[in-house]
Amino acid sequence: MSYIRQLIGMFFLVVIVCGGPYMLYVEKEEVHFAPERVVTYTVYLLQQIGEGSLGTYYSGNDERSIAEDIVPFAINSFELMFYSVLIAVLASLLFGLFLQRFAFVRYFQKLLNLLSTIPDFVLIFLSILAAIQFYKWTNIRIITLSPTSDSSNMWFPLTMLAIGPTIFLMKVISLKYGQIGGEDYIKTALAKGMGIWHILVHHVYKNVKPFLLADLKKTIAITVANLFIVEYLLNVVGLTRFIFSKNGIYQFNAAVMGLMGIILLSILVYLLIRAILYLFEQIAVYK
Amino acid sequence: MQKRRVNVSLWVGAVLVMLLIVLGIIGPYIAPYDLEHQEKVRNVEVNGKTVIISPPLSPSSEHWLGTDKWGYDLLTKLLHGAPYTVFVTMLAAVARLLIGTIIGLYIGIQDKPQKWWLSIENAWGYMPLFLPVYFLLVGLNRNSELAIGTLVLLFIGLVALLGAPSVASSIRQKTEQIKETQYVLAAVSLGAGREQIIFRHVLPQLKEQLVLIAVTEMISIMALMGLLGMFDLFVGGTYVTYDPVIYHSVTNEWAGLLGSYRGFVYGNNAWIFMIPLAAFIIAIGSFSLLAKGLRDRFQETYQRTPFI
Repeated sequence: MSYIRQLIGMFFLVVIVCGGPYMLYVEKEEVHFAPERVVTYTVYLLQQIGEGSLGTYYSGNDERSIAEDIVPFAINSFELMFYSVLIAVLASLLFGLFLQRFAFVRYFQKLLNLLSTIPDFVLIFLSILAAIQFYKWTNIRIITLSPTSDSSNMWFPLTMLAIGPTIFLMKVISLKYGQIGGEDYIKTALAKGMGIWHILVHHVYKNVKPFLLADLKKTIAITVANLFIVEYLLNVVGLTRFIFSKNGIYQFNAAVMGLMGIILLSILVYLLIRAILYLFEQIAVYK
Repeated sequence: MQKRRVNVSLWVGAVLVMLLIVLGIIGPYIAPYDLEHQEKVRNVEVNGKTVIISPPLSPSSEHWLGTDKWGYDLLTKLLHGAPYTVFVTMLAAVARLLIGTIIGLYIGIQDKPQKWWLSIENAWGYMPLFLPVYFLLVGLNRNSELAIGTLVLLFIGLVALLGAPSVASSIRQKTEQIKETQYVLAAVSLGAGREQIIFRHVLPQLKEQLVLIAVTEMISIMALMGLLGMFDLFVGGTYVTYDPVIYHSVTNEWAGLLGSYRGFVYGNNAWIFMIPLAAFIIAIGSFSLLAKGLRDRFQETYQRTPFI
């Protein structure tokens, strides 16, 4: 029951955020604040949902049905989000925890820390510039920005999307690694002559896990924020297309559906990552 | 005795931020051209041959950073935009800090945890901030009837208000820690009131934290401005021309220029995009250096080294 309540709460938060353009408007050089205008749009939206359709939206000059497009768009967004979060979790566990004791990994982390001071959208532009320069020098095409090209070009947006969450999660985990590594029970385990992998898996990983789970939500939130930028700048046709259509007018129905879709996708991603971690533990930790 | 190491990031960051502030103050006065000055297509005789010169002009001695596609001098644009970039960032961060600190202190000092506030903090923490800011401002910002000042103030207010919960969260946590200390208990038993505890006991402990939060908030606000620029929402107003649809920044603020010129990244005149990009990276980099320096300075000397 509480899940349904949370979902309804989320829906209203989405409506309030998406209703932003109707709430504030300018008339005769004065700013007006009219939250009641959102209500009419919301009622219309709910009516349409009640009739069994999700309404329509304009893509360019074509009026298209949201219900038809939402599934393929969602699949694209889901692939991007899921793989990036997966990369973030795997990379930060591997480099932040299991391989942290090697010097080259720490240098790699320093490099990532340096990168993290640059905002993600700037990183995207820098890598586009680098890719163009690379093409000029070697004639090898590594990125394509055409949305109609085959999906094998997914790896570039994927890499771009994975950078932000990876940097964040790796920072968290290596910080916790540093703290837990200094605990007395680690010292005891070492003094008893236990193997380093045993200690890493049974003492460090188990103690890092609660923090990993707590920050997994934040990691997904960062991924979602970056998803908007990546899809927008790299022309990936995904759910954010409903919210920021290029040169298009703002469409309330589509924006609500897009944002709700993204929220539901992030919940799905969260559950899937939890399941993968559970499997990993069954295989590696609690054999 | 271990010699105390010089905190390089702090010094370099502080000097760069000072330079930015100076640039923000004198920028518009030292600009080499007027904002309206436009290079037109013209014929020039070079070695007996007539050559047509048309913008965009690449960087030269006349235009140090070149001109954009429409013949406007880029250095001039950047210098005129500097005050907006630097001071909007700082003002918004300070306003956000003020609101967040007040909320955080008063929520944190309560005896019981305030559930309603915790749920706001929790839910808002997952919201990418540029979404609500974009949606609220997009209707006002394009070809606006409002004056630049009003739009800038509106932006600062919105960014401060919407970003305050995250600041309040860290202040609240710290306040809750300090509230449990012995000297606060002593003050309470001596009859100190709530304001007395907040201003005499909690706030002095938070001083370093507040400075650090202010600088990190500046970084996040600058990134937010850049992000909004990507979606053609520029601080101080977006001027849209139709057919073809082109978005111009009214204030020439750096993040705005970055967003406005982003199409040039794919062309042969990539410097038009790279120059605002460089300015933006330098600005955000100097704030990041300052934050790193401050963090190093405030970090506790007591740190355990891991055994493995």
